[in-house]
Amino acid sequence: MNRTRPGWAQWLAWAVATAVVSLLLFHFRDVLDKAHFALIYLLLVLGGSVASGHRVGLALAATSFLLFDWFFVPPYNTLTVANPLDWLVLVAFLVVSVVAAQMLHRLQVEADVARARAAEIDRLAPLESLRETHRLQNALLASVSHDLRTPLTTIKAVAHDLVRVDDRALVIEEEADRLNRMVGDLLDLSRVQSGTTIASVAMTPIDDLVGAALQRVTGAMPERTVQVHLEEGGTLLVGRFDLTSSLRILVNLLENANKYSPPASPIGLSAVRRDQWIVLTVSDAGAGVPTAERERIFEPFYRPPGAPPDRGSAGLGLAIARGLAEAQGGTLRYVPRAGGGSEFVLLLPAAELPVRILTL
Amino acid sequence: MIDDELAIRRVVRNAFQDTARVIDAATGAEGVDRAAAERPSLIVLDLGLPDMEGIDVCREIRGWSRVPILVLSARHADEEKVQLLDAGADDYLTKPFSTSELQARARALLRRAATEEGQGEPRVAIGILVLDIAARTLTRDGDLTHLTPIEWDLLRVLMTHAGRTLTHRQIFREVWAGRQFGDAQQYLRVYVAHLRRKIETDSLRPAYIFTEPGIGYRFASAGDFP
Repeated sequence: MNRTRPGWAQWLAWAVATAVVSLLLFHFRDVLDKAHFALIYLLLVLGGSVASGHRVGLALAATSFLLFDWFFVPPYNTLTVANPLDWLVLVAFLVVSVVAAQMLHRLQVEADVARARAAEIDRLAPLESLRETHRLQNALLASVSHDLRTPLTTIKAVAHDLVRVDDRALVIEEEADRLNRMVGDLLDLSRVQSGTTIASVAMTPIDDLVGAALQRVTGAMPERTVQVHLEEGGTLLVGRFDLTSSLRILVNLLENANKYSPPASPIGLSAVRRDQWIVLTVSDAGAGVPTAERERIFEPFYRPPGAPPDRGSAGLGLAIARGLAEAQGGTLRYVPRAGGGSEFVLLLPAAELPVRILTL
Repeated sequence: MIDDELAIRRVVRNAFQDTARVIDAATGAEGVDRAAAERPSLIVLDLGLPDMEGIDVCREIRGWSRVPILVLSARHADEEKVQLLDAGADDYLTKPFSTSELQARARALLRRAATEEGQGEPRVAIGILVLDIAARTLTRDGDLTHLTPIEWDLLRVLMTHAGRTLTHRQIFREVWAGRQFGDAQQYLRVYVAHLRRKIETDSLRPAYIFTEPGIGYRFASAGDFP
């Protein structure tokens, strides 16, 4: 990765990418909302910053800002803006993309420094260096979260006040939430991909995991039936895993099942013990995943072919879910459901309970 | 309102301008001083202050006051929430939050602070559960329910702090005080699961004991039931 001086080939590649993205978006100008254009341009800026450094990122931010204004903010083909609320969208876009490009740059530079320092310390004291790298990584993630989320809080609050004047401000508030989720997803992905294992693994009943997951998804899908099957005989299933990470995996699987299956069909959720494993299965009666796509769905930024543009996420969910499963010593895989549809199978390590604790 | 960022201070001020007088402080030290001088009924504390760790601001104020503290943070990390709750913070809101969310949390904290004045009642009734602390009994819809000694203490701690999120450590410290515990701490969640199966109608869709993932548990408050 060339961070400081991108070569002419990279500049050209990103110029072509910008042109292609703009052409594609132009094609959908009458279908999509302004916020969609902003999000897609933002992805371009983030991609450029990550792959070719902050110079490319900032250049992309400025170019996207102008293209966005010129082609997608009415009146078209001028830099003037008809609706004052659109200024909010434009300015929010510019601020978020510049801050993001700068932050990613700072993150990479600091990560380089951290890596260099870690390598240095590594030769002297291996244990100390691990702790130091971990501390630095945490400090970096904290500062990225803070620098991105604080402006989002202000944008959200101002939009909230503007709803009284113009209800389209609701869209700004919702999109701020969406950006926040994306920031969270990108941070989680970087955490998972750095290969750190999860420290807070503890003995946890499956009741707790399933109960918390149901509670979290019920609000978002009130119409949907979730059929839950736990091990027969009423035995308490207990595993050794991190509740927060496993909850994220399970909620993601349930939300996917909800998105990709007909609304009237039930979603299945089952948990059983098999040897050393707790086997959790989320199944739906949707279209399933074609054979060729079955491993690709776990790659970051994957999108199902032909999926409508507004399905609300950047395609990071399953990549993060699998990373989180493996970081706790588990696995996550896809199997086709008998009779059509998908089954996602999450394996988590099972735990043994001493008999005495039940009588105290 | 203790926050070094002007934009966030303005957001908070706007949220409460119709219902309260808002006092600003831009640093932790100033916040502690003004809290001592003005005796506010609620403190909103943003983390990431230039001069002090938020957790130290919490501890310092807790040294002499029971005033509810609502923490704002941009980090979505469980360890941080647990540390702050252990240090005496009452609730925790992650950025970005909406104005109505902030107002609702503040109202809930003020309401709870008002009802907690009357704590130490010998009998706690929430939903269909009645806990008689003197007689050490639990009735569920009028029927006596058998609990093991640990389950009883666990329920007593949760019900006497109804509506409040308790961390695993806070629960453990109260339930296992004076008990031989050895490695018992790791089974806390298992005891809660057993307790749920005795008091909940559907233990997978609990109405009384809510899991706060990575943090602890929260018991429903009497106001949650009609």
